[in-house]
Amino acid sequence: MKSHETVRDLTYLGGLCLFLLVLPDQVNVYYRSFVMFTMMYVVLALSWNIISGYTGYISFGHVLFYGVGSYASAILVADYGWNWLPTLIISGGVAVIVAIVLGFPVLRLKGPYFAIAMLGAAESFRILATVWDSVTHGGEGISLPNVENSFATYYAMMVLMVATILVSYWIGHSRFGVRLNAIREDEVAAAANGINTTFYKLSALVLSGIFAAMAGGIQANKTLYIDPDTEFFILITITMKLMAMLGGKGTVIGPIIGAVILYSIQEIVWVQLPQAHLIAFGIFLILVARFMPRGIVGFFIDRGWARKGMVH
Amino acid sequence: MVAAADDIALDVQDLHKDFGGIKAVDGCHFRIPRGKISGLIGPNGSGKTTTFNLLTGVTPPDRGKVIFKGEDIAGLKPYQIFRRGITRTFQITRIYREMTVFENLLSVTYLKIPMHKARARAEELMEFVTLTKLRDEYGGYLSYGQQKLLEFARALMTDPDLILLDEPAAGINRTLLASLLERIHELQRMGKTILIVEHDMNVIMNHCEKIFVMDYGVNIAEGAPAEIQNNERVIEAYFGHKKDANTGSQKR
Amino acid sequence: MEKSDARSLYMLAGFLVFIYTMPFVVGMMSGNIIYDMQWLADLTTVVLSGVMQGGVYAMFAVGLTLIFGVMRVINVAHGEFVVLGAYLTYVVFNSPQFLGYGGYIDPLLAMFITLPVAFCLGYLVQKVFLNAVIGGPELTPLLITFGLGISMINIIEWIFSTDYRTIPYFPDAFQITENIRLGKNKVVSFFIAFFITFSVFFFLKFHRFGKAIRATAQNADVAMVCGIDIYRVYLFTFGLATALAVAGGTLVSIQFGFNPETGLTYTVIAFAIIVLGGRGHYIGAFIGALMLGVLENLVSFMVPNGTALVEMAAYGLMILVLLIRPRGLMGPKID
Repeated sequence: MKSHETVRDLTYLGGLCLFLLVLPDQVNVYYRSFVMFTMMYVVLALSWNIISGYTGYISFGHVLFYGVGSYASAILVADYGWNWLPTLIISGGVAVIVAIVLGFPVLRLKGPYFAIAMLGAAESFRILATVWDSVTHGGEGISLPNVENSFATYYAMMVLMVATILVSYWIGHSRFGVRLNAIREDEVAAAANGINTTFYKLSALVLSGIFAAMAGGIQANKTLYIDPDTEFFILITITMKLMAMLGGKGTVIGPIIGAVILYSIQEIVWVQLPQAHLIAFGIFLILVARFMPRGIVGFFIDRGWARKGMVH
Repeated sequence: MVAAADDIALDVQDLHKDFGGIKAVDGCHFRIPRGKISGLIGPNGSGKTTTFNLLTGVTPPDRGKVIFKGEDIAGLKPYQIFRRGITRTFQITRIYREMTVFENLLSVTYLKIPMHKARARAEELMEFVTLTKLRDEYGGYLSYGQQKLLEFARALMTDPDLILLDEPAAGINRTLLASLLERIHELQRMGKTILIVEHDMNVIMNHCEKIFVMDYGVNIAEGAPAEIQNNERVIEAYFGHKKDANTGSQKR
Repeated sequence: MEKSDARSLYMLAGFLVFIYTMPFVVGMMSGNIIYDMQWLADLTTVVLSGVMQGGVYAMFAVGLTLIFGVMRVINVAHGEFVVLGAYLTYVVFNSPQFLGYGGYIDPLLAMFITLPVAFCLGYLVQKVFLNAVIGGPELTPLLITFGLGISMINIIEWIFSTDYRTIPYFPDAFQITENIRLGKNKVVSFFIAFFITFSVFFFLKFHRFGKAIRATAQNADVAMVCGIDIYRVYLFTFGLATALAVAGGTLVSIQFGFNPETGLTYTVIAFAIIVLGGRGHYIGAFIGALMLGVLENLVSFMVPNGTALVEMAAYGLMILVLLIRPRGLMGPKID
């Protein structure tokens, strides 16, 4: 990565941060929430991108990390009286454990089978959350103590988003990332060229899990109520996927663009037609998968408006 | 002729691999001389592909040893074998298609050198295989011959001591082949050891100093090209017994 | 059989034995079971129910295995087609009511309407969405069917809301022995499922077009060279699989309640079955279905909270089979 490019990109990021820092004071609660959730989806899309875009192991069940993170935080705050910020670290920690334990068996499966295995895993977590009511309060859900958190959660999410962007950026421009891509392109060749695929795959899953889980933790403290069906909702995985794919999976900017565009559209459409938007998502997924598999960034690259490859 | 241990790059001892009743490799021995280009040939079904897979860690052997730099590497995984200094290419190229040529080279791991040195090395190798102009092109957009060169360059990133080439002549035109062979000889002059598995007899006879012949899972001959060409057992293996067919059971 | 192949089969068999005894163990540990003739009778009922249910599961599993075997497509929306079948049946069943005549149409007779409709629907889906992407990366059709599934769930929800529906049918039961009763709807469903599954099997085995389908499944390129129009085969296969799924949905609708979201459960079950039986293997799917039906009923019967865990059990079984012996019981060798 040529250093002047890095400086340029960091400047953009800095500018964005400045804008976001000032924003909450200027606007009302609704817009604060909107921006916060947009940032959350940026985090989620980027985190999905790490395991599915870079490493090529397309996960249909990423929401499980999000749900696990939100439950970890909620349980600690509601039942054990923790202050919400430290719970995020636990959320991350739980995600690491889940990623390793789940990853070991599941990352051995090839493409579509991995996808389905993750889908089933997410469903299993949802059922577990419903059934294990001694810990998770089951179907009733968990209500968190009502604290005015609008500003605090906004800033927390902003910090998380910046962290996720920085890590994604680093991965995308480092040899670590190039190796993840190698695994995606041809795992046999990657192994033959010295890459310890098990280690790299697990690392990718762990990294992607941590960010998703923390996002879930912050969200729980914002909406102040969680239950198994909302936290492990399959739509969240679809949304993450669609955002990353729309923008261009396997790139840094792609998921960010995708998240911003899609979330904005969703907010506008959803307000008008609540039922239709899920149907629209399904159809949209079909269209993107069929006609634009490389996303917006891919489109730019194919036209020669952006450079091929990430490391130069 | 007894060769000193120093002269042997890879010592393959008594390899066995059984696939549920079919003995693909049934006691294979050979010693690859250091600093030379050697060839491994044999008719279809001779076990040479399986042997190649055993050497590169794709399949674990049932029995036997493979000594490299004083260590038995039999049964290790491919990435472990790679990290000990043995690289390989594939019969049908397996380059990374949606990554640039430059990235293909940089993806090689265990280089133990900082990024800028790795970059420099990648540039050097692109020069070596004359792919510098295609540096930022996706691997998948290269012609087949260029992909072969890329894979070859990729195998050289770690400056390995032993390079195993799986049918390098397959699927490319004679001009490109000549240029590839020239580079292989250059590597040999730099002191590297190379083993080529091939079907193309011209390549083997004209470019290898030592040839190992396999049939039915064992070595049936080894030696210089001239010796191999006149070796009866080799001729039999490829063409069948010379006596007429009326003698009933053929000695094979 | 290759050494490691036999070994993996033994491991799988051992593992299955373990899985089947687990419900008994859990039941014993929860302590509130009385082992008497009543329990034995209940157990037999449960096992028989399991077999019956398995027969119905077989309907959707064989469809899915056909799609995978012939086109290498993983149809994540398959469970949605099953639920669609249930809803279609519901509509036809109630149609005289809607039209103002009163009375109902027998849901099984309704199959004469719903199955052709399903076939056409499947045909269209394949034609519009999938034919173009076969032979490309495996993930694209997966994403497409996923999107399709999501759309379908929500369209159904839009029209019918999330309320559970049922179709009352043959609510009485056969009395087999003093303590064992089997719901008539279950028994009838099983026999219909069996009949349909085996008709399709014979079609595949002996009819010319059925053979063309099998040829395409084995090697599409060669089939094409031999003059088989593989795209027509794909269209027909998807149509057939959809019809089978919808038939399964009909049989389900007369036994259980359904709502748009039960589709996902059926998808997971169907996947577990084809993984267990062997991907692409028709008879394997049938056997796997029976096994899963019995297992589910055992779990439901003996494990507290069993019914909710059934989906997890199916999923867990699938993962473990994929890890121990990816080819399942009877599937083709995977490299």
